[in-house]
Amino acid sequence: MTATSNGIDRIGDLRVGLVGAGGIAPVHAAGWSAIGASVQVFSHEGARELAAAYPMTVASSLGEMLRAVDVVDIVTPSHTHRSIALEAIAAGCHVICEKPLGSSVADAHEILTTAGARGVRVFPAHVVRYFPEYAAIREQIVAGRIGRLGILRFTRSGEAPRGKDWFFDERHGGGVVRDLMIHDLDQALWMAGEVVEVFGVQNPPAVDGIASAPVVAQAVLTHANGAISYLDAHWGPPGTAFRTTVSAFGEDGMLEHDSAHNHTSRVELAADAGDGYVPSTPGAVSPYELELRDFISAIGTGRVARVSPSDGAAAVALAEEVLQSIRTGEPVACQTDDVRLPSPRQAMAARP
Amino acid sequence: MSRSTAARPLRVAILSFAHGHAVSYARLLAARPDVELVTADPDGATSGGDALRGRALAEAIGVDYVDSYEAALKLKPDAVIVTSETAGHRELVERAVAAGADVLCEKPLATSMTDARAIVAAASASGSILMTAYPVRFSLAFQDALARVRRGELGEVLAIRGANNGKLPSDRGWFIEPDAAGGGALVDHVVHCAQLIDELLAETPHSVRAVDNAVFHARRAPRVETGGVVSLRYPSGVVAAIDCSWSWPDSAPNWGGLTLDVIGTKGSIHVAPFAQHVAGFDRDGAIWEDCGADLDEAMLDEFVAAVRAQRTPVPDGASGVRTLAIVDAALRSARAGGTPVSPARAS
Repeated sequence: MTATSNGIDRIGDLRVGLVGAGGIAPVHAAGWSAIGASVQVFSHEGARELAAAYPMTVASSLGEMLRAVDVVDIVTPSHTHRSIALEAIAAGCHVICEKPLGSSVADAHEILTTAGARGVRVFPAHVVRYFPEYAAIREQIVAGRIGRLGILRFTRSGEAPRGKDWFFDERHGGGVVRDLMIHDLDQALWMAGEVVEVFGVQNPPAVDGIASAPVVAQAVLTHANGAISYLDAHWGPPGTAFRTTVSAFGEDGMLEHDSAHNHTSRVELAADAGDGYVPSTPGAVSPYELELRDFISAIGTGRVARVSPSDGAAAVALAEEVLQSIRTGEPVACQTDDVRLPSPRQAMAARP
Repeated sequence: MSRSTAARPLRVAILSFAHGHAVSYARLLAARPDVELVTADPDGATSGGDALRGRALAEAIGVDYVDSYEAALKLKPDAVIVTSETAGHRELVERAVAAGADVLCEKPLATSMTDARAIVAAASASGSILMTAYPVRFSLAFQDALARVRRGELGEVLAIRGANNGKLPSDRGWFIEPDAAGGGALVDHVVHCAQLIDELLAETPHSVRAVDNAVFHARRAPRVETGGVVSLRYPSGVVAAIDCSWSWPDSAPNWGGLTLDVIGTKGSIHVAPFAQHVAGFDRDGAIWEDCGADLDEAMLDEFVAAVRAQRTPVPDGASGVRTLAIVDAALRSARAGGTPVSPARAS
């Protein structure tokens, strides 16, 4: 493809570099395959296996790959997002980055300001915005269908990630709040707007920054508009089914969704030992594919994607405030995110 | 009280129809051959609200009625059920136990910790049985969850999530009068989940935090909170949250519901005592036809059995005080803008 000043002209020419080949990589790989992009993968482990399952080639080094692609899709452990993103930005690539956008607010801001200066786009991959039920609830809220919002409830549970220490290291971007609850922190912001105060609890709490599992975190957010969001994130024992629920209650009505009641298809297999970490959405278009299509279209048109760069930073900031409340036992007043980010068009104009 | 009631029907008096549950209790007790029921609702005529009250209500459901509490107590009831406005519980319980009756008191026990402690003390001083009316614990779904937790099937309990949501109680205006009810949704809908958690964990929280708002039913200009979320922390490390909001619109096909999710290290249980129903549509919209067990009936069974056996009922008065302590702390926390507070001691 050609990355002109307008972005990407033809999807068929799109060159994508996938960095990482772990748990979330297959759904991204499937999305790219459906889009028809030309994909290279680079990973310290698992690249060959992924390339055997999806149409892609294996790159021998990150640097080599960055020279050959237009868009980099980062699906690596959270604490590596910053350095890989900065390297990709320096190479002039647009960046799609799995959540959290960075291990810290500082990391997220550095990624965004560096990308702005270099004239490339950044897309935090908050995929829940592309789950049709969540999008529909948000659309109805915005349309005023249930009136002024009073209470929102979000729950998200699945089995704890297996055998990967970084997931549990709260000092370096891990933990159930930053990895799992962050989806619903983003949803709460998307549906009910700015948050002025957060309160969080977690059991068991992290010890020396290392979380254990099974674990539950609960957070209560007070929004600037007076609405209250309650969030519950749970890494359960092996075999815990992946399940999410969302309920929005307004002055004039209520809207609810429970992923366990999705009946477009129901599969029952003997001795089904499915991985409970990543949601499966049989019977519907993959939200990951919808997400990647939106990002690519946003690059092509210069418009803002459904997830903006500052949305990614805001979710990281909120997660940090929840963690601070968990540590102190006190509510935390939220800081207004005052980092000034260039608009997509300004960023494109800055592109060398 | 100590007199034997084994050979005759139990004499029960229901004092006040202010709480809608009184209607359910009256119907159920009137249908029992082992109970003689009398009712009194002297304030019914002046109560305001749209609900049928007083003698008219008693006649509508076919139960005996007298015009004053004094007249009801003069009949020497073995047991009294107090279903007045919450702020009036203390006076009626004190009069009932002074007349030698055992008491089932509607929840919450009182509008203040002072009154709640006085209610328990009065019952204790006169040797009367005191039960707090918490029907949800009698659901088989909750009993099953309780047994599984006690057997350790969930491993160690990590967290509990409760939601007790519904419509605004609309035909009885005092529910949204702070003086009569003690508060709004934080009072009416925290206690049920709090009681279930109290029984599951057998410990009391050391920290309570609440935030509230008045978005729901704002057009009726309630002077109390109509929505809120309470966070509880327990000495064992367990964390719990209760959404107590009156968040269902009047158009919903049923009153609301209650769910409790208990999450442990080895698994979790979802309890939904009011989930049994059939659904459909008629000309006016959605149908929700409840077909679950009558939890009030099971609760009255326990009360009658405890009175006959002169034993402590479950849940007892102390349970009512412990759960009110959570409500009291939640109200204090919400009024302080969400500062975590310690609950008052139960005694």
